[in-house]
Amino acid sequence: MTTMTKMPDDASATLSRPETSEILLKAEGIEKRFGDTPVLKGVSLAARRGDVISLIGSSGSGKSTFLRCLNLLEQPDAGELEIHGQPIHFTARRQGRVPADPRRVQWMRSRVAMVFQNFNLWSHMTLLDNIIEAPIHVQGTPRAEAIEQARQLLLKVGLEERADHYPSQLSGGQQQRGAIARALAMNPDVMLFDEPTSALDPELVGDVLKVMKQLAEEGRTMVLVTHEMAFARDVSTQVMFLNQGEVEEAGPPEQLLVDPQSERLRQFLSTR
Amino acid sequence: MSDSLTSWLGSWLAERAIFTPDTLAIYWQGIQTTLSLVALSLLLGFVISLPLSLARGSRHAWVRRPIQAYTYVFRGTPLLVQLYLIYYGVVFIEDVQESWLWPLVKEPFLPALLAFTLNTVAYTTEIFHGAITNTPRGEMEAARACGMSKPLIYRRIVFPSAFRRALPAYGNEVILTLHASAIASTVTLMDITGAAQFIYARYYAPFDAFIFAALLYLAITLSLLYALRRLESRFNPQLRGVRRQRRKVMFFGNAIPQKP
Amino acid sequence: MLNLHGYGARLLEGALVTVELAALSLVIAVVLGLITASAKLSGRRLPHLIATLYTTVVRGVPDLVLMMLLFFGGQMLMNQLSDLLHARFGLDIFIDINAFVAGVVTIGVIFGAYMGETFRGAIQAVDEGQLEAASACGMSRALIFRRIRFPLMMRHALPGLSNNWLVLLKTTALVSVIGLSDMVRVATQASKATLEPFTFMLFVGAVYLLLTSLSEQVFMHLSRKYNAGFTEERS
Repeated sequence: MTTMTKMPDDASATLSRPETSEILLKAEGIEKRFGDTPVLKGVSLAARRGDVISLIGSSGSGKSTFLRCLNLLEQPDAGELEIHGQPIHFTARRQGRVPADPRRVQWMRSRVAMVFQNFNLWSHMTLLDNIIEAPIHVQGTPRAEAIEQARQLLLKVGLEERADHYPSQLSGGQQQRGAIARALAMNPDVMLFDEPTSALDPELVGDVLKVMKQLAEEGRTMVLVTHEMAFARDVSTQVMFLNQGEVEEAGPPEQLLVDPQSERLRQFLSTR
Repeated sequence: MSDSLTSWLGSWLAERAIFTPDTLAIYWQGIQTTLSLVALSLLLGFVISLPLSLARGSRHAWVRRPIQAYTYVFRGTPLLVQLYLIYYGVVFIEDVQESWLWPLVKEPFLPALLAFTLNTVAYTTEIFHGAITNTPRGEMEAARACGMSKPLIYRRIVFPSAFRRALPAYGNEVILTLHASAIASTVTLMDITGAAQFIYARYYAPFDAFIFAALLYLAITLSLLYALRRLESRFNPQLRGVRRQRRKVMFFGNAIPQKP
Repeated sequence: MLNLHGYGARLLEGALVTVELAALSLVIAVVLGLITASAKLSGRRLPHLIATLYTTVVRGVPDLVLMMLLFFGGQMLMNQLSDLLHARFGLDIFIDINAFVAGVVTIGVIFGAYMGETFRGAIQAVDEGQLEAASACGMSRALIFRRIRFPLMMRHALPGLSNNWLVLLKTTALVSVIGLSDMVRVATQASKATLEPFTFMLFVGAVYLLLTSLSEQVFMHLSRKYNAGFTEERS
C-alpha cells in the first residue's frame, strides 16, 4: 500500500484554491487493473467548489480510466470515493469490488455529470428530448419546468434553433455542445469531461472550448481530460500530469506547464 | 464404460419395439422421398428463377408487374394452402381424369412437387432479383467501358457477382425448403414426417417416432449447411480465414439462418 | 358471385382463431426471444449452452414435426400423468390437451428461437456509448432498458421482427393438421363437403394476403416511429 499513493492528500489540498470551500468530490488511492495490467496505481484527487482540474498525459497514462472511475463507469479495485463528504461503500465480490448500493451510485452519478469524447447523445431522441430525459425520469422534475430549463441551456450553448433536431442532423461540434447542455441539465455539482474535443474536426473545436471556458468562468466545478494544453493553461486551477497510472506532477497550470519539474513532463510538453 | 453404454443402449432399443427393420425401412423410404422432393423442387426452382429474376427487374411494367404479383401472392400465403389448392383442386380441372396426366397427378408426389416448386420460385426470384439490383454500379460501368455487350456483361459480370451475394440467402432458402417439405405429409405423401406419423399411429409412440424424424431432419440440415458453407468459401475466398475461425459458431451458433 | 355454401360464418370464426393464435404465439415468442437473447449475451456458459441448443434444434427441424412432437407427445405425457394420479391418489382427472393452447405454445416455442436470433443481433447493434451516457446520468438499469436500450434496439430488430411475424402468421396454417379449427381446417372440410376446393382455398388465401398486407402496413408505421432520428443518416 505504501508505494501506491504517490501524491499525498495534503498536496492536492494545498494546490487547489486557497479559500477553504467545501470538497465536492474526493478520490483517494484509486487503483484499477485490467486483467494483469495495472492501469491506475493509486491516484488521488480532491475537487473543491469552483475548481477546474485538468488531467493531462500521453495515451495509456490512465487519465481517462481515472475519470471514468470518478463516476463509477469503471469500478476501482481499491481506493475511496466521496461526494459531498459522503463516501461510496463497496462490497467484495468474486469478480471484484462492487458498490454496495446501486441506488447510491445512481444518486452519485446524478450529481456528477459526464461529457464523453463521442458525445453519446441518444440517437432516437431529439436534442430537446435528450436534455429533458434525465431531469424528468431521474430527478423527477416536472416536464414543463424541464423544457423551460432545457431551452435556456440550449440558448447558453448556442443551439436554441436546433432543439427539435435529431443528433444525426447535427455536426460533431453541435452534438458535443448538446451533450454539455444535457450534462448541465442535471444541475450537477461536478462535471467530468472525457477528451471532449478529440473526436471533432479542428474547425469545430473552438465552439466547444468556448462553452467550456464560459462554464469555468461561472465557477463550475470541472474535471477534464484534455489534449488542449493552451486551454488547460487558460482555465485550470490545477493540472495533474499522469504517467503510467501515477500522478507524476501536479500543481497550478502556470507552474506546471511553464516550469515542469520532472523529465517526463518536460518531454511530454515538448511534443505538444 | 463403453460396455455399460452399449448394454444400456441395447436394452433401451429393446424396450422400443418401434425400431425394427420394418419401421427403419419406412423411414428410409421417407428419407428418399423427402430428398427427391426437395432436390427436384430446388433444381426446378433454380432454373425457373434465373430468367424470372431478370424479368422481375425489367423496365417494362407489363413484364415486371405479373411477376411481382406472383411472388407477392405466393410469399404472402401459407404453403399449406397452396398445396391443398393444387392437390385437391387438380381433380376438378376439366377432363383431367381422362387425360394422360391423371395417373401422375392422382398420386400426391407431383402435386406436391408443383406446389413446392411454385413456392420456392417465388422466394428465389426475389432473392436473385435483390442480388442483381445490388450489383455495384462500377462493375457494370467497367464492363461497358471494356466494350462488352449487354448479354456478355450479364453472363460474365452480373450473374457471377450476384450469385455470390445471393448465396447466403439462397442457402437459407434451401434449408427452409427442406423444412417446408414436411408439409407434404399432410397430403398423404410418405416422406420423413409421413413415416413418423405412420409409425406414431401404429405404435402410439409419439416421442420415439417424431424425435427420430427430428434427428433425421437435423442431420440433413447440418450436412446441407456444411455443403453450403463450403460453397460459400469457394466463391468467396477472402472469407476463408474468417470462416475457419468461426466454424464452431457456424455450426452451433448462427448456423441456421433466419427465415426469409 | 362468391358462394360459400353457408360456410361463411365458420370461415370467419376460423379466421379469428388464426389471428388470436398468431397474436398469442407472438407474445410467447417475443418473451422467449428476449430471454434467449439475454442468455446468449450473458457470457455465462450454461445459459449460453442451453439457448444455443434450443435455437439450433428448433431451427434445424421442420415446424410441423416439432408441432406433432409437442402436441401428440404432450398428450401422451398428460395421459400418463392422469393415469399416475389415478393410480397413486385415486384422483380421476382427465387432462385433455387443448388444441388451441398446444398450438399457441408450440408456435410460440418455435418462433422464440427465431426471435432470439433477431433480438441478439439487435441488442448487439446498440451503441454502448449511448447506454453508458444513460448510466452516467444516474439512470437505473430498468429505466435504461425502457427509455434507451429498448427503443434503440427496436430499430434494429424491426425488420427481423416483421419477417418473423409474417412467417409466423403463415405457420399458423399448420395447426389445422393437429386438429385445431382454424380457417384452413374449416376450408378443407368445406372443400370436401361441397367439392369446391378452389372457392374455399382461394378465399383462405385471400384472407392470408389481406392479413399479411395489413401487417406490412403496421410495420411500416412502426419502423417510421423507431427510425426517427436515423432517416437523415441513411439518405
